Amino acid sequence: MRVLVGGVGYRYLRDNALGLHISDSFADRATNGIEIEDLGYHPIGFTQNLQDRPPYDRIILVSAIVRGREPGTVKAYRWEHELPPVEEIQDCVSESVTGVISLDNLLIVTEAFGAFPEDVWVVEVEPADESWGDGFSPEIQAKLPEIEETVWNLTKL
Amino acid sequence: MCFKNLPIEFDSAGNATLKPGAADPYLYTETPVQTPIEDDPDKMRELLERNGHVRRVDFDPVTRVAGALAFHTVVDLDNREVLETASMATLFRGYEIILQGRDPRDAIFISSRACGVCGGVHATASALAVEQAFGIAPPPMGVVARNLLLSIEYLYDHPIHLGLLAGPDFSEPAMRDTNPEIWEKALSTRTQRREIHGYEFMSELMTDLTPLTGKLYLEALHYTRVAREAYVLIGGKYPHPQTVVPGGVSTTIDTSDLNEIMLRMVQYFDYGRKVIAVWDDITDFFYEVNPKYRDIGTRPKSMLEPGQWDDPYAYDGTFENMDDWARQRWAPPGVIVDGEMVTTSAKMLNAGVEEFVEHAFYEEWVGNTSGPSGSYPFPTDPSGNPLSPYHPWNKQTIPKPGGTSWKEKYSWATAPRWDRQTMETGAYARIWAAAQAPTFRGSRFIEPTGKSLKVDLPKAELPNDLVEWKVPETWGAFERNRGRAYSIIYTCGIAYDNLLLAYDLLRKGGPDAKMSVPYKVPKDHRIGMGLWSAGRGYLTHHLEIDNGVIENYQILTPSTWMASPKDPFGNPGPYEEAIMSTPLLENYEKPEDFKGIDVLRALRSFDPCMPCTTHIHTDHRTISREVVTCACGAEGDHAH
Repeated sequence: MRVLVGGVGYRYLRDNALGLHISDSFADRATNGIEIEDLGYHPIGFTQNLQDRPPYDRIILVSAIVRGREPGTVKAYRWEHELPPVEEIQDCVSESVTGVISLDNLLIVTEAFGAFPEDVWVVEVEPADESWGDGFSPEIQAKLPEIEETVWNLTKL
Repeated sequence: MCFKNLPIEFDSAGNATLKPGAADPYLYTETPVQTPIEDDPDKMRELLERNGHVRRVDFDPVTRVAGALAFHTVVDLDNREVLETASMATLFRGYEIILQGRDPRDAIFISSRACGVCGGVHATASALAVEQAFGIAPPPMGVVARNLLLSIEYLYDHPIHLGLLAGPDFSEPAMRDTNPEIWEKALSTRTQRREIHGYEFMSELMTDLTPLTGKLYLEALHYTRVAREAYVLIGGKYPHPQTVVPGGVSTTIDTSDLNEIMLRMVQYFDYGRKVIAVWDDITDFFYEVNPKYRDIGTRPKSMLEPGQWDDPYAYDGTFENMDDWARQRWAPPGVIVDGEMVTTSAKMLNAGVEEFVEHAFYEEWVGNTSGPSGSYPFPTDPSGNPLSPYHPWNKQTIPKPGGTSWKEKYSWATAPRWDRQTMETGAYARIWAAAQAPTFRGSRFIEPTGKSLKVDLPKAELPNDLVEWKVPETWGAFERNRGRAYSIIYTCGIAYDNLLLAYDLLRKGGPDAKMSVPYKVPKDHRIGMGLWSAGRGYLTHHLEIDNGVIENYQILTPSTWMASPKDPFGNPGPYEEAIMSTPLLENYEKPEDFKGIDVLRALRSFDPCMPCTTHIHTDHRTISREVVTCACGAEGDHAH
């Protein structure tokens, strides 16, 4: 069994660093087929890395992302492997190679190049504060135990 | 005498001084911006009466560029000309504010985040600025490791620009969509370099430039992987290296690492030749189809290059010796005005830089300093050369968000100028400076001739024909892309040279083979600057520290130069200038069919890279990631 937990986001941008906080704090849990990775790099690189590795049974991606929900809202869902129109994929690739890191970009680019396994889960959290700085907003800070538990439960196949 | 606009003269010994007599020598009178067409009802009416095909076309955002760029034009579709332009950086970067009050060593890792491609260059420019302030320099191996890291970074960057960002503008779908008559011609036009790239007809080459499916597009993606694999052997992580530190590199390198780098680097020897053949064929084909393609994105041949890749035995980190060690770089500094090299002095390059904010969302800082009227922190550099109050060492970053007005403020980019002239920068400026700098003698694989730059690399699989980039007679979008293609091989020549040096240093061992030097953070007042061009051109970091923390930090990026709005002297920025002179050669019958491919080709030839910060709080004002939209309500908007 091989499971990858990947944290997506930017350091130094408060709630936007949530995914990286998860990959940092889960680092010592990388054992028994569970791998933890800081995905604070571009999706093309991640795609190419996946293509080089033995396939995973499950990938779990964790990120803060603005969807217009109540700050602190946690949503876990299975990725449906649906792609937008080709033009949008092209834009995602351009953004990816020029350094943009985002959950949506990662999902689209990795899917477009066929690097995902069948079983991909996403844990996304609505941020309250994406300004410069360390630490989380009170809304996200309060949800950290729930977020960590949600992610960890998904590693159990 | 390299300055014609700044109040600087030189004595018989060549020392720069302020011209005598002027009470406020850097004072200027602002030239008002011409009233925008949309704000001038009479002009608009006249144009519409004369020609019903005048319309506003906004490219917002400009896609396939890094970051947030919007570009405003008013075009005359009958006469196929651009009447008005405005370049808008739509995000605030703000790293200068973030870095204030921090440990200067943090600047290397934090400023790296300013770009998702050139993070290593920012880190290195920052390290040089810190080293200058600290009074330290790496041992030779530390310099060579840095040279290797950064040359590999460009081997990532150049293919991205050519294959993934600019290339699709010349692909089959783009040609069919915008100039089907040229596509028809491509179907029957044989390429001139089939023996190198393998394409018999231009149409086949264009088909392989198609995004997502074209072989050239996918090959460029592949080469980003090859470069990244080599990069992380020294940097630990891409794009933000973990090992660039003051005084060297915080990792070890052994023969195995160098072998791994070599295995990847040599792949670019052939790939570089292939990319050159592709872009030579594209350029020749379009010039043959219509000579007016030479004018796409044309502007004066005025550009600057701060240089990079230090001589490990010349670089001492000091400002005092900066002219000497910078001239011994593999890429020497140079300022080119109207095609002529006016200086190779890094100090004069530095002394000529000013930033203006009349049309940018910042507050004026000159006059804010306490003390006698007209005084400012650094009237001279550490060697006594005059500096302007608008120089980065004297600059304060004071954001002033507001509405967009073409006559007043419309961009988050400042207007940097050298000797109060509009300058561009890029990989092509680098090879241009190397070709023409009289003090540059070349290196093991590189030979400047004054009119060209020759690179003679060892043979890989293709024949090892000598590659020669010639200083172009005309200047525009196609030559920018062609120059970028030649820059791959030029970069290979430097990377390979440094790799051989690294092997040699490892073999000899001793203090020269150490990676870094120890240091202490000084507590007194210091300044420093780092100049190290990014793949896409000019980059400087200026630093002021006191009590062990950063007092002021200023970053000047290539796209700040090129995306700049108009300056107080009435000069447009390089994008604005280049698009104004771009003929509209696209094939359209009705105005609504117009897609602006020639404008986009011109813009993308500069490889825009807009700064990457998305959010920041400043002085209780939130600057959000909203694209700035124009308040003018002219008809005929055409978003792309």
